[in-house]
Amino acid sequence: MTLKHHISDDTLLAYVNGTLAETLSVVVATHLAICPQCRKHMDLMLSVGSIYLDQSKPVELSSNELDLCDEIMLSPQEKPSTVHRQSLNTAADPIRSIPKPLSDLLPCDIDDIPWKKLVPGMSHYPLKGHANSDGKGALRLLKISPGMTLPEHSHSGQELTLILRGSYIDEVGRFAAGDISDLDDSLHHQPVADTDKDCICLIATDAPLKFKGFFSRMLQPLIGI
Amino acid sequence: MTSSDGRDLSSDPSHRSPDQLDLDLILVGDAADRDAFRRIFTAMAPKLKAFLINTGQSPQEAEEILQDTMLKVWRKATLFDRSKSAGSTWIYSIAKNARIDRIRKETKPAPDPDDPSFVQDAPETGEQSLNRRQDQKRIQLAMSTLPSEQMKIINMSFFEDKSHAEISEELNLPLGTVKSRIRLAFGKIRAELERNQ
Repeated sequence: MTLKHHISDDTLLAYVNGTLAETLSVVVATHLAICPQCRKHMDLMLSVGSIYLDQSKPVELSSNELDLCDEIMLSPQEKPSTVHRQSLNTAADPIRSIPKPLSDLLPCDIDDIPWKKLVPGMSHYPLKGHANSDGKGALRLLKISPGMTLPEHSHSGQELTLILRGSYIDEVGRFAAGDISDLDDSLHHQPVADTDKDCICLIATDAPLKFKGFFSRMLQPLIGI
Repeated sequence: MTSSDGRDLSSDPSHRSPDQLDLDLILVGDAADRDAFRRIFTAMAPKLKAFLINTGQSPQEAEEILQDTMLKVWRKATLFDRSKSAGSTWIYSIAKNARIDRIRKETKPAPDPDDPSFVQDAPETGEQSLNRRQDQKRIQLAMSTLPSEQMKIINMSFFEDKSHAEISEELNLPLGTVKSRIRLAFGKIRAELERNQ
């Protein structure tokens, strides 16, 4: 099994340029850690950007700036990495071990998360302090029991979901561990956890979701996503 | 230093070959070579400053980001891997992140290759890494095939550092159109690069 769903180019470009919301950037960085293909796409964008840098017409430096060169060389250099680079993750189980951009934000191991129940079959764990600077959007873990269907919803902004455990199916396809689902406001979707295991995902938004049905809308203040 | 056709290149650092930049980075990384770092600084700092001012930084901010960037180039040259990226791309990426970190006042979430959860790249063949190093010219060629409506958006993203929402507002296009043109553009660039391999 290899990763099937990747970061879309527009999201990746916003991440590279630093214009992607902080919450969404955490999800992108976590997927990048386990996905050489998306890193290759990111490298292409950086190569494109470096052409713009190369073509910039040089301007004169101030005397302060010219002095920087010698000042900088007084500082010590970093030691090359001596870490033996063998990943705990494999192609068959790409996100068994949670990469740093996410694990640094978790209070404990992913298997010991103190879940908060939303409705039967669905619980969440908000990663506090990880809203965006404009106060909108959120970053949270969501756990869905097997067979459970999420309320049908669309988005007023962007939603990024990274599957950590289990899998789900929605209108777009089947998403398994390590896959990323990159949706914007054009789509209504209704994910269903489709194996006998809990589906655990990391979900980031940059604006509140819009739920379709009446009961789902009642649920919204409760879920807060 | 002279080029193969006898021109003196040392007086105009912007015409130094990309390979020279890579070699200088290796010299700085392996031997803390001060002359090599001076060459890198002379070649790159005036361009970096121009680039930062073009993308909207004040002269004061540009100087701070320039300092952060060149300091990181000196300190991290020990980690530069020529088989992974061209020197100019490596420096660009450092500058980009230094700029983002200054603006956000915090570090952008990023994968760490030393993290035991990180999945390494598959080993490349010699031909693949050669292709990667020649990338700049090939990428420019691929970009020249893009329709102007896509190129416009790529220019605004990279040269003016605009967000998708800002581009959408400025060009009076739906956000979805901006995003789909970006996807089309990079899809086309990748297809061209594969075709010309």
